Amino acid sequence: MSQNAAHTKSESNNVKPASVKERADLALNNDFLRKAVRFTTERLRDGKQKAANDHGHWEEWRERGRQIRLHTIAHLDYYLNLFADNARANGTHIHFAATGEEAVKIALEIAQRKQAASVVKSKSMVTEELHLNTALESIDVETIETDLGEYIIQLAGETPSHIIIPAIHKNRYQIAELLSKEAGEELLPETTILAGFVRRKLREKFLEADIGMTGCNFAIAETGSMVLFENEGNARMVTTLPKTQITLMGMERIIPSWSDLEVMATLLPRSATGQKLTVYMSGISGPRRKDDGDGPEEQHIIILDNGRSEQLGDPEFQELLNCIRCGACLNACPVYRHIGGHAYGGTYSGPIGAVLTPALNKNVDQWDDIAGASSLCGACYEACPVKIPLHDMLIYLRRRKVERGYGDKVEGLGMKGFGAIMAKSQRFSNVMKVGRIGQKLLVRDGGIPSKLGPLKGWNNYRIAPKLADESFRESWKGLQEELDKNSREMDPVIQKRMEDLLAKRKLEELEGGAGHD
Amino acid sequence: MTEETHIKWLERMEQDSRTKQQAFMNDIARRLKRPRTTEAPTHPYRGAPDYWQEFQWSSVERIDQFTANFQSAGGHVFRMADMDEAKAFIVNKANEMLARYILRQNVSELASLRLEEELADTRVSVWNTNLQEAWKARAAEADIGIVIADYAVAYTGSITVLSSADKGRSVSLLPTALIAIIPLERLKTRLGEVLIDFDEAGQSGLPAGIHFISGPSRSADIENDLTIGVHGPGIVFALLVG
Repeated sequence: MSQNAAHTKSESNNVKPASVKERADLALNNDFLRKAVRFTTERLRDGKQKAANDHGHWEEWRERGRQIRLHTIAHLDYYLNLFADNARANGTHIHFAATGEEAVKIALEIAQRKQAASVVKSKSMVTEELHLNTALESIDVETIETDLGEYIIQLAGETPSHIIIPAIHKNRYQIAELLSKEAGEELLPETTILAGFVRRKLREKFLEADIGMTGCNFAIAETGSMVLFENEGNARMVTTLPKTQITLMGMERIIPSWSDLEVMATLLPRSATGQKLTVYMSGISGPRRKDDGDGPEEQHIIILDNGRSEQLGDPEFQELLNCIRCGACLNACPVYRHIGGHAYGGTYSGPIGAVLTPALNKNVDQWDDIAGASSLCGACYEACPVKIPLHDMLIYLRRRKVERGYGDKVEGLGMKGFGAIMAKSQRFSNVMKVGRIGQKLLVRDGGIPSKLGPLKGWNNYRIAPKLADESFRESWKGLQEELDKNSREMDPVIQKRMEDLLAKRKLEELEGGAGHD
Repeated sequence: MTEETHIKWLERMEQDSRTKQQAFMNDIARRLKRPRTTEAPTHPYRGAPDYWQEFQWSSVERIDQFTANFQSAGGHVFRMADMDEAKAFIVNKANEMLARYILRQNVSELASLRLEEELADTRVSVWNTNLQEAWKARAAEADIGIVIADYAVAYTGSITVLSSADKGRSVSLLPTALIAIIPLERLKTRLGEVLIDFDEAGQSGLPAGIHFISGPSRSADIENDLTIGVHGPGIVFALLVG
């Protein structure tokens, strides 16, 4: 099964369209996806709104969350160091990985040392970021995603399309087909039957797996504990049953104390799903104690940089490290709601992905069109429980892209030409005259329906207007005469007031006040 | 590969890790354009907002709110005057659900219920009492797991269980149904009232596993359709006793 999954995955990677635009075209053509994404995101967004309102003082909590994150990141060397020391005191094996490759190497080495045949995983965006499943399968370690949604998309050989609901794009008939293949018998497309099969199937996997692998929502510096939020119980399974536990965490996941966890536990579930708390919130402090009857005998935490520290000291992007991965910005984003997660092309989608992906990859050119996939409406900032100004960051990204010479060449050329034409009114009027003659070939019923060349983007869904037979400027002479005729009997009071205003403005201009020009 | 070499390997990895740790911290300080922070910085925003820290419900409100929250998450809540009532409830449920295997924590409050005497047809096991036993397998086959909550939180509708040799994490996780007894004096208003104890216990005072449980295991991953009991217990009874 695992090899099958790996095979399909590489196939789907091969045919992946190159740009957000192309990937979004695919998404927009997929009717189910669009409806599912809209339904789910609206449900989550409304749930969040209700949970925030019910809780009350939401702005105060957001501000508190932001302050805790800002404080921790501003003193990250102190808190991360403290976390590592305390986790070691708990008996955890701590590893530091500067790059994704280093983290993968450490994880594989542990798996080989343990002669592991299988790894059960709970949801972890970091392992998606590292493509760790593919790496484990390359050394013949079966890797099983155990979050229901993640399991489904693993069987399909796909990647998550939403940070909270990864299989948002699959309907139950597609899911029944995937699971039936796995079961070797026909399963009815009913949620309880499908979930029941997964429970039985994965229960065996949990019990026989050599390694449990998790991500980390928060790491508590003062006690060296890691905290996981989840609803299914699979994260508890993978941290309780296998003999070895490996956790991958981004270096910025730290909070100082358990008291600070109350703020995060208030913000995260409400922002993610509208819940007061996820069904399970687990704090794990080291491997099992000597006399414990369960829990891992050996626990490893791999602390990953992989581009994160690049944001430190950068006034425009440092706050990116405050993110608590709730997905609220995805649900709030009008662009995400239309194109879905796969269109973003990276591990992280939505507004956070649009900023985080290029920030972590440091290759602005490759991810250039992601920053364009936003309307800059600021809904992401409003939704963010720790107030990350994502819409500002998207503008910074676009600016940096242009500064580094990765701007759109055609757009740049167009703007230059536009500048040249607009600089002189005679030049503009000559161009318009030529245009009016040239367009005759294309005009049908007073509009231009052609999809030739540059017209395609606009005319796919609408018809461009033709150029007016006479421009406003050209018709001004006649208009003015008409106006003069009509306005002769102006109320003398109004006329006086307007003349006064005109005189006043002239006076201001003479004094050098800031006028319109 | 012998045990010896694995330990050696772990030691080598730890040396590497300690070296890298210093490099990581120095790099962070360099990027933040200041010297390393080695003393605890003042943290003026620690914990929840001030107004919240003073928020308290009466005992009656705590019971009502816990009940409402736990039920809306799909759990079941019953109020009991004493442990005898709790015992009667458990015996009834076990019979009603035709439970064949029950697994309980090894704590005196549960031992004094003497469930095995009432449930002749049910095998009642006690966590970690026999070192030869495959306890995870016993937990996985159990129809009902029984625990005493270490804390409960009214505002979020949560039960807290702490792990120990006598209180396996599997007991509240693997059985099909979970029954949690909550002595009323352990029911707090806010999450913060529980969490502060872990700060006070400090690194050396914590158990390996601290688990907050707020209802039955659930998922909405298939077409947003709520499914109960995906991996953890699908039925959860909270018995408020006192």
